[in-house]
Amino acid sequence: MKNSRIKDIAVPLLLFSALAASIIAAIGIGAVNIPAAEIMDILTGHVQTVNASILMDIRLPRVILACVAGAGLAVVGGVMQGIFKNPLVDAYTMGMTSGAALGAVISIVTGINIRIFGIDTTGVFAFLGAILTLLFVYSLAYNRSRVSINSLLLAGVAVSYFLASIISFIMMLNHNKIEHIVFWTMGSISMATWSKVAVASAIILPAILVLLFYARELNILALGEDSAHHLGIETAKLKNRLLITCSIIVGCVVSTGGTIGFLGLVAPHIIRLVCGSDNKKVLAYSAILGAILLVASDTVGRTLIQPVDIPVGIMTSIMGGPFFIFLLRKQKLSKV
Amino acid sequence: MNQQILVSEISFGYQYKPVLDQINMNVKKGSFFCIVGPNGSGKSTLLKVISSALKPQNGVVYIESKSVAEMNRKELAKSLSFVPQNTSLEFDFSVKDIVLMGRHPHIHKLRGETRKDVEIAEQSMKYTNTLHLAQRSFMELSGGERQRVILAQALCQEPDIILLDEPVSHLDLQHQVEILNLIKRMCVDKNLTAIAVLHDLNMASTYSDDIIMMKNGEILFRGTPFETLTVEHIREVFETPVYISVSPVSSRPYIYTLTKTIVEKKDIRIHLVCGGGSGGSLIPELSRNGFQLSCGVLGIGDLDWKLAKESDIEVAEEIPFAEISEAAYQRNKALAKAADLVVLTGLYFGKANVRNLELLTEADIAAKPLYILEDGSFAERDYTGGYGCELYERIKSNPNSRLTEVHCLYEEILKVGKTHEK
Repeated sequence: MKNSRIKDIAVPLLLFSALAASIIAAIGIGAVNIPAAEIMDILTGHVQTVNASILMDIRLPRVILACVAGAGLAVVGGVMQGIFKNPLVDAYTMGMTSGAALGAVISIVTGINIRIFGIDTTGVFAFLGAILTLLFVYSLAYNRSRVSINSLLLAGVAVSYFLASIISFIMMLNHNKIEHIVFWTMGSISMATWSKVAVASAIILPAILVLLFYARELNILALGEDSAHHLGIETAKLKNRLLITCSIIVGCVVSTGGTIGFLGLVAPHIIRLVCGSDNKKVLAYSAILGAILLVASDTVGRTLIQPVDIPVGIMTSIMGGPFFIFLLRKQKLSKV
Repeated sequence: MNQQILVSEISFGYQYKPVLDQINMNVKKGSFFCIVGPNGSGKSTLLKVISSALKPQNGVVYIESKSVAEMNRKELAKSLSFVPQNTSLEFDFSVKDIVLMGRHPHIHKLRGETRKDVEIAEQSMKYTNTLHLAQRSFMELSGGERQRVILAQALCQEPDIILLDEPVSHLDLQHQVEILNLIKRMCVDKNLTAIAVLHDLNMASTYSDDIIMMKNGEILFRGTPFETLTVEHIREVFETPVYISVSPVSSRPYIYTLTKTIVEKKDIRIHLVCGGGSGGSLIPELSRNGFQLSCGVLGIGDLDWKLAKESDIEVAEEIPFAEISEAAYQRNKALAKAADLVVLTGLYFGKANVRNLELLTEADIAAKPLYILEDGSFAERDYTGGYGCELYERIKSNPNSRLTEVHCLYEEILKVGKTHEK
């Protein structure tokens, strides 16, 4: 199979070039267009212009945050699809993002907001929201030591709606904070700062590495839990570790960027179409593709109808919704 | 004394539902050990308890005198592999990837797979004849190919023991034999111990060194195929009557199911004049189709006599090789008289049994419809010096007699049955 050897080189090369291109485009395009040559000057030298401060203080942290968040969500999607052995599962369809958003909203509304070592309570609440929702959805679908994937998806979607309506209810009661809350529910990274970037990177990037570290085990999980058990894997422990790590990533992304949907669905699926199901590749490449997709959607969202800054969560949902339906149909057809 | 696996006092149950009840067994190293029993008897559960996939409420499983419960997963996976009935994937992998997964318990987390791992994977694929499939996608393979790939994966673990849960149940005959041969070969070549749950008793008989028969979570019988696979045991465990002979191919017990009566058809009594095996196919065929049968006169120990006894039909019998006595003759006559029709099979006649022909010339018997199965010329089957031939010609010329062949007989009898009903 020469084909796969070529792919092993070509795909990462292509992904990295696309990432570089999208980053440069993203920091260049906007209300003020900065040409590529000037970007290079600003990034390498010490050019102290207005453009330099737009680039360094506003656009660059936003783009990097998009990269980190996109990579995190895509890997989480890939891992959860591996655990539940279904391509339709991700943090969004499992209600984790809604749970995280509810956690964040509760922290905002109640005004509990203490910062400890740069991690504020909003983030912790978001993490707790994500993991509690996951546990709840999982327990709904759990029946006689089996988890039916249909019930899992149904429970995820139902819980998602339920949590969204609670968030709306809280919004109604808290008119004064409505704008702040809308930001969470729509998903936006427009408030990116270097300190947010630092916290998010410090949490998400190591968490991604942890997930990549378990790619081999995740592959074996595809054979089913019994087979994985017989190949020497402690499945319950493995799933717990992976799901907690996923919740940390989701909680962190939501606490910095609100609910951003469908990335975890789209990125791993595209990679699987091209490179097959080996999670070593799926997870690593999905991370890069997720970064590219989020940077691109954010850039489109911020430049499409200027000066309106369309929240990136809306952009990913506009793209991801139809894609989800496409996947659903494809799966139905393949089962006939 | 080379027992490798010792199962001691194992009890297992799901909530409120006991599945295994104090199971004890031991398995010799390098043997092909088979678990048989009806559905729901706990066979698969026992296998999963041995593999430690299920934790028993009571009892211990020892491998090489180490308790399975105290071994960590990777350690256990190095000495024991498991082949399920079938494997399906939601995400597709290449055959090579699947086989390499078998190396997982040996692979160091940080170092990843080495050349040695790849070599072992290739050897396993060669052994199971799947090397040519290495780059193919697993889901594209046929059932038999997939099962060979899973066997390659199991071998790749370099285990001492391989557990198989109905490994051939969804395969066609050719692939069943192929997979079981392969497993048997592993036992011999690699001194591997195989414990398999098999549904097909004849496969179990052919391949096993030892068999246990389970029912309702208990082991009822254990031992070699000859010790375990008996008519009585199978009747008790499977509640099915069977006939067992020794297979001329495998020299092991071969089990035939005796489906006694498929349909309770009609109240038609048929009397068979047979002997020496000439009733061989008729007796089971007719009794299975719901006819009331009788036959005679048969020498005790005669092939047809055995068959008639096993099929539980009435027989007029005589001492072996003795001439038919008056008592046996009268008994036979009574049976024939009670019958709605009589069938004369292609048996040989000598001094001992010629009175069976005489019977057919008697007035009340000759009045009944008679079916004659001609098997070659009668003269060649007559060893009475012409007396038989004479009787035979008389019987044949009787207007109630009809010549027919075995494959037409059943159809014709049905017709008679219908007219008889009117």
